[in-house]
Amino acid sequence: MTEADNTQVITVARDLDLIPGDRLHCLELIDCVDVGRRHVVGPLGLKIGRTPPADIVLLDSEVSRTHCFVALTANELTVSDLGSTNGTFIDGVRVEDPTPLPVGSILQIGKRSLQHEYRTRAEIAESDELDRELQRASAYIHALLPPPSREGPVRCDWIHVPCARLGGDAFGYGKLGDDLFVAYLIDVAGHGAGAAMLAVAVMSQLRQRTLPDTDMHSPAEVLTTLNRLYQMEDQADLYFTIWYSVYDARNRTLRYAAAGHHPALLVPPDRSHAIPVGTRNVIIGAMPGVSFKEAVIDIAPGSSIYVFSDGVFEIVDKGGKQWALGDFEKLILDPPIAGMGETQRLFHRVRDAATPGPLDDDFSLVVAQFD
Amino acid sequence: MMDMQFTDVGGVTKAVLVGRLDSFSVGEVETRFVANIVPKEQSAVVDLSEVSFIASLGIRMLIGTARALQRSNARFAMFGANDAVMEIIETTSLGEIIPVVDTEDEAIAAVSA
Repeated sequence: MTEADNTQVITVARDLDLIPGDRLHCLELIDCVDVGRRHVVGPLGLKIGRTPPADIVLLDSEVSRTHCFVALTANELTVSDLGSTNGTFIDGVRVEDPTPLPVGSILQIGKRSLQHEYRTRAEIAESDELDRELQRASAYIHALLPPPSREGPVRCDWIHVPCARLGGDAFGYGKLGDDLFVAYLIDVAGHGAGAAMLAVAVMSQLRQRTLPDTDMHSPAEVLTTLNRLYQMEDQADLYFTIWYSVYDARNRTLRYAAAGHHPALLVPPDRSHAIPVGTRNVIIGAMPGVSFKEAVIDIAPGSSIYVFSDGVFEIVDKGGKQWALGDFEKLILDPPIAGMGETQRLFHRVRDAATPGPLDDDFSLVVAQFD
Repeated sequence: MMDMQFTDVGGVTKAVLVGRLDSFSVGEVETRFVANIVPKEQSAVVDLSEVSFIASLGIRMLIGTARALQRSNARFAMFGANDAVMEIIETTSLGEIIPVVDTEDEAIAAVSA
């Protein structure tokens, strides 16, 4: 369950028709794809808190029960903190006294962020429809993802948190035959329904093992076929990166290949280090007729492999530092937390390290544990 | 945010990019970047020395520009990437699609060969 799923939003009787004016002041949650994320601020203002009777209820432990109030006066919004424990912030600056909330600025409360938008009714209707489309696309991708596997020689768990604009991440895993297990993750460059559609198209072919004239046991062959089928000129200038592997439980070997994608990280049972598992190949769709390299690695008993999209580590932290793969690797090697799954642990660690506000890209992470 | 400057160096378009080429800035600069390079139908080089980060959408912008120039029989090269940007270029094997060299002179030579 994502953080956005944990947010319960209650709107009081606030029918748009009862609020005067052609343009309306809106507070819009910017870290989720949800048509319920927009709240129109009427003449009575809005109270924000963790529990009712707040008008906007945010189920976040860092939000106080009665956190802040947003008033509409003289066609401007003003924010007052109501004695909250963790403070109310506008564009990163703590609110001490009643403070104007300019159009476009971001109101941060706990881990949640709301943007002030000033929209016409037509824009609101159009934006609502776009949100619905993105929500449907997001739900569709989610429905195609495999359930966690808790038995067998490879056990997998995952987390997929789409960004507000919906990225193009997708992944899958499963049996490819007796003692053979396939796993892959694709990341389409771009956001929105277009990127999601391409991700779904590729994932569907990989799920059904229906690539033409292709040995699905050979990562290099799979990548070669995908590159032939999905050249960017034929795909509205979209391309994607991929990490693909086949594990043979009989001899404990993993065949793998990556195209434009950073390596997965293999962690031995003692968690002393992480071994990059990747190959350098061009992005799928960027250049026709190229050949792809694959490699093989032995898997020690009790190892884990972490497969993820770049949205997992390409963040800017609170100190303003742009993260690279090595920063995420350090988090992986930290000790597990009792009672919390690895995927949740890493999501919360990254979320806590990143600058406030929504993550810029989809967060997709698959952790596979070998016997 | 990202700034861009364009000059002509002996019949080669030189673009200087400054800032982060992340998914937000690409949306803001892509049209201007392509419009200042592709219609001229002449080879181009890009100075990356002041670029601190390139997201996947930035890579798409660069590949798209290179392929558009290719259709005009013109070439495209990049130079001056710092270590962090080189790590991204190497991970994505972008260098196999667009030549990436150290200096402007090498880049001009690469597109003029």
